[in-house]
Amino acid sequence: MARRIALLFLALASPLILVLNFMPWPVAETLFAVLVMGYPVALIAMAVARQGRVGPLGLPLLGLLILLEGCAVGMLLLRGRVLDGPWFGGLPLAAAIQLYGVWLAPLLLVALVYALTFDRFALRQEDLDRLGQFLRDREDDG
Amino acid sequence: MPILDKPAIVWTAIIYLALVVVIGFWAARRTRSAKDFFIAGQGIGLVVTGLATMSAAFSGFVFIGGPGLTYSMGLASMFICIPVSFTAGLLCWVVAKRLRLLAGVREIYTVPDVIYCRYRSRLASGLAATAVLVGTVGYLGAQLQALGILIEAIFGTRGPLGEWSLAVAMALGLLVVVFYATAGGMVAGVYTDLFQGTLMVGAAIAVFLYALKAGGGLEPMARTIAESDRFGPGHLDPLGAVPVFMAMGFFLVFAVGTLGQPHMLHKFFMLDDPRKLKWVPLVVGGTQTLCVLIWLGIGLAVPSLVVVGRLAPLGNPDEASPQFLLGFVPEVLGGLVFAGILAAIMSTADSFVNIGSAALIRDLPKAFGRQVSDELFWGRVAVVGIAVSAAVFAYLYGDLIALLGTFAFGTFGAALGPALAVGLNWRRVTAAAAAASIATGMGVNLVLEFLAKQAFFEGLPRPPFQAGVLPAAVSLAASFTVLFVVTWATGRRRPPEIDEDVAVVMDL
Repeated sequence: MARRIALLFLALASPLILVLNFMPWPVAETLFAVLVMGYPVALIAMAVARQGRVGPLGLPLLGLLILLEGCAVGMLLLRGRVLDGPWFGGLPLAAAIQLYGVWLAPLLLVALVYALTFDRFALRQEDLDRLGQFLRDREDDG
Repeated sequence: MPILDKPAIVWTAIIYLALVVVIGFWAARRTRSAKDFFIAGQGIGLVVTGLATMSAAFSGFVFIGGPGLTYSMGLASMFICIPVSFTAGLLCWVVAKRLRLLAGVREIYTVPDVIYCRYRSRLASGLAATAVLVGTVGYLGAQLQALGILIEAIFGTRGPLGEWSLAVAMALGLLVVVFYATAGGMVAGVYTDLFQGTLMVGAAIAVFLYALKAGGGLEPMARTIAESDRFGPGHLDPLGAVPVFMAMGFFLVFAVGTLGQPHMLHKFFMLDDPRKLKWVPLVVGGTQTLCVLIWLGIGLAVPSLVVVGRLAPLGNPDEASPQFLLGFVPEVLGGLVFAGILAAIMSTADSFVNIGSAALIRDLPKAFGRQVSDELFWGRVAVVGIAVSAAVFAYLYGDLIALLGTFAFGTFGAALGPALAVGLNWRRVTAAAAAASIATGMGVNLVLEFLAKQAFFEGLPRPPFQAGVLPAAVSLAASFTVLFVVTWATGRRRPPEIDEDVAVVMDL
């Protein structure tokens, strides 16, 4: 199911992103930003799905999606409010969202989730055993 | 740049170049087969793979062009580099596992090899090899051009050599790269990358700290910039100062486009054990993030120093890094950073001479149903041929090569990204869809980039984009769209046939 949703998103978002580049619609910029932020997450969801499901990786992927989309919406809402808006971590909030939210937070989230789930979901010992068995069978068959 | 007045910088550069040559000699003794030459014998460990991937991905642009871009257009430019925090994870989840496992069941040295295995299509792999060659000429030419300019500046060859200065400087840089890339192939490439990557990370961290010190800290720098008339608050507004299509376009191209970069993907074939992929996102993403600190640090420090009058306004934004390094860091560190910039340029160049060589003597002949008999020998010949051709081309047609260099990343991303990212994970993608996607990505990107930036022919129309749209973003979206549409059109009745070993890898 998750895999189908990811593929459907990619299949629909790709032409939409393409068209938005040429269309001066009022919501074009916002829609473009939202689709772009969702695109890499959809690619990951498509790739990690086994038998169509992302399993326990669903939660971190949803977290990444919410983080990136939230950051995009935040930066859009804070446009033009550098001097009169709030500051965080030594930067105007929009810049802080960009640097801490889009840059640094995904590093920890993605790299750690990948490492911590690698043995159970990315490349399991049984996957390597299966591949090894296939190679041995192929060798035996000449 | 009065670098000659700073002997520590000159000596650091000389020592750096000598060390690279020594690594080349050492690697030459370990290169005995085509497998050694093209994928370092598939015997590279985690740290070397991680740092080699990072240093190959980052050219001199991160050290010079990036801070210059932040000086001129503000924080919106950071959307080019901030995807590095998760692109290593994206690569590992989406393509790396399958690339590495495929390299274990087949003789795979290159991205076009993968395309051929997956789609059993000589057309698709031939188009992929063509895209690799086109992008290589641009990328490599731009790196050699930058290498020549930097060597010229460091050693001050302009005065004594006059109009021959750039040619001699390029030749010197070319000689070093060609020596170690020819003698040691990818073994030399990855071990020089390890040395170069370490140098880049160390230099970036140190310069970031000096940038914070020079500007008085992050918040004082930011407030100085935001309250100034010269730069203003828009400088720190990521989506406020430039069109959203440009800022988010950067993010799309440099996040998703990473999936098609052969100089990064190539490194996954070399990993000695696929289980070591576990820590690759942390090593690559972490070191890339540390390297990007130099971009952020100088990009914010220089505008604030200009506002307070400690630096003169820059005539050319690319002067931001050299001006800061010459005026605000100790001479020895400046020397290390200039060596780091040389390292960044050379590590990208060595990857491309190897990849271009493989495309020329391995992938293109295979696309025509032929095989070169002694790939190691001809691979070495091709390295020399490609490097010299790219250097001559860059010297004679500097403007054109600079243009090609700027859109090489987009060409790779649009041409190769969709066919690999979707095709390695979804069985229904057909060979026709892959070939159409690769041709679309390459063709649309070349045409749109040329029309958008060319100044050679008056009267040629500009692409009818909205303001700020990046041609690479358009071509990437077009390539994905074509992949899905042609898959739907050609794969509805009968799913494509996939070789059993490739199918096993795709199912894991």
